[in-house]
Amino acid sequence: MIAAVRALVRYRALVRSLVSRELKARYRGSVLGFFWSFVNPLLLLLTYTLVFTVILPGRQSPAIEPYFLFFFCGILPWTWFSASLAESSGVLITSGNLIKKVLFPAEVLPAVTVFANLAHFLLGLPILLAFLAAEGKLGWTALLLPLPLVVQLVLCLGFALFLSALTVHFRDVQSILGHVLHLWFFATPVLYHYGDIQGTLRQALRLNPMTHVLVSYQQILFHGHFGHWRGLGLALLVGLFVFAVGAFLFDRLRDTFPEEV
Amino acid sequence: MIAPAIVARDVAKVYRRFLHRNQFKTLKSALLTGSLLSDLRPDETFTALDGVSFEVPRGTTFGVIGENGSGKSTLLKLVAGITKPTRGSLAVDGRVSALIELGAGFHPEISGRENVSINGIMLGLTRREVERRFDEIVDFAELRDFIDAPVKTYSSGMYMRLGFAVAIHVDPEVLLIDEVLAVGDEAFTRKCLDKIAEFRRRGKTILFVTPTSPTWRGGRMRSSGPSRPRRSTSPRHRRSPPPRRRPAGWHPPPATGPAAGGAARSRSAACASWTRGDASATCSFPGRP
Repeated sequence: MIAAVRALVRYRALVRSLVSRELKARYRGSVLGFFWSFVNPLLLLLTYTLVFTVILPGRQSPAIEPYFLFFFCGILPWTWFSASLAESSGVLITSGNLIKKVLFPAEVLPAVTVFANLAHFLLGLPILLAFLAAEGKLGWTALLLPLPLVVQLVLCLGFALFLSALTVHFRDVQSILGHVLHLWFFATPVLYHYGDIQGTLRQALRLNPMTHVLVSYQQILFHGHFGHWRGLGLALLVGLFVFAVGAFLFDRLRDTFPEEV
Repeated sequence: MIAPAIVARDVAKVYRRFLHRNQFKTLKSALLTGSLLSDLRPDETFTALDGVSFEVPRGTTFGVIGENGSGKSTLLKLVAGITKPTRGSLAVDGRVSALIELGAGFHPEISGRENVSINGIMLGLTRREVERRFDEIVDFAELRDFIDAPVKTYSSGMYMRLGFAVAIHVDPEVLLIDEVLAVGDEAFTRKCLDKIAEFRRRGKTILFVTPTSPTWRGGRMRSSGPSRPRRSTSPRHRRSPPPRRRPAGWHPPPATGPAAGGAARSRSAACASWTRGDASATCSFPGRP
């Protein structure tokens, strides 16, 4: 685990240039270019707001009004999480020529997908903050934003290492993952308010580390107070565990990558 | 005697013949036909290299000649550190640059300029080193006019030229070359050969593999194992020991050939050395198609 962190620090220049390449290449040739990083979350926001205010109105508790803003606070970090996982699962295979032909620190590749999606998250953040400011919701607690961000980064990196290594040997992972992420989305309080859920369901949600990360974002940005320390601390512990397992698996399978991708 | 740059001791590389996906296929059919145990026996492996020992002294050029499938590229990948030997040990001293596949890390959508800097960093340069060598790289590749165009618009010759230019400017202590000298026209090929000759003058170590005889002649080819194709039904087919002048540290291949079954056509690779005037190492190793 420490070795994995050290490798990422050592190759940070490579990670940085690959992330910027990723960002440049993604929108190359499109008319809006970099603006897509802004437009994407807005369009997503529009769709869900339409569904939950026009098609299925009046189901939300007053604690999360205005609903679109509450939803925006959750969907932005969730998109970072799910896109990181989905992209990293196939990254070693799509970059197979690098692993096969160049002496290349393979852990850089899943890390690049996580950081590239982090960059998209950070690009979408000013829009969210502008909306929050317009609604008068922006408080000093927004300064705590780095806390859930770091916890989520650890989680993302851990899962990315784990999934990317596993997919090399079991391509099935990629197919299953889409469905798992879909279910995971609904098992994480993005669309609904965690405070409204009671009983066994709440106990089940507590087992999901992303629940605590998302609740922290929502408290910090939307509710203007932060009291979810224990939950976030727990999520960090889970994140470190996932990272350790992911790094261990990645290291164990590393020598098989050039032959299997 | 100078410390050797590359030392291979009894190196073997065994590939598993089947991917996991296929194993699952065979597992299912194996369960159905009841041949599970026989299907999982280790003869499902493929020995690409076996019992390879050689030493490349610092500052010499070491060529490996062999047919397709004799394990030359596997050897280069092992020396480059991309894959690990199954058995034996391999030690390389100094920064390695492998001209195995040129431009392997290029991204088609972004410009040649950005690809040069990323590829340089990938091959082990720092950002500042890439910046310092940037003009030299672009001039070498003769792509001054196209360096800001996306790489996907390049012809394959331009692509190869840029890939070669980056790889050669990494300034390695050990350069590995795999049949990539045919990049571009004759003038560019000559330029590549000049660059490689310059490497040799500066006392760098070069390991190169080729299916035919070398395209340049700097030193003399002093000795080599024969490299003509041989047919054999014996899995223990071996090449006879190479000729005289074995240097210290040369290890003859072990007496056992690749554990092979069937009447496979056995191909062999021979390696020989070209140095500045004096032969220093030679050996041969068996391989299997």
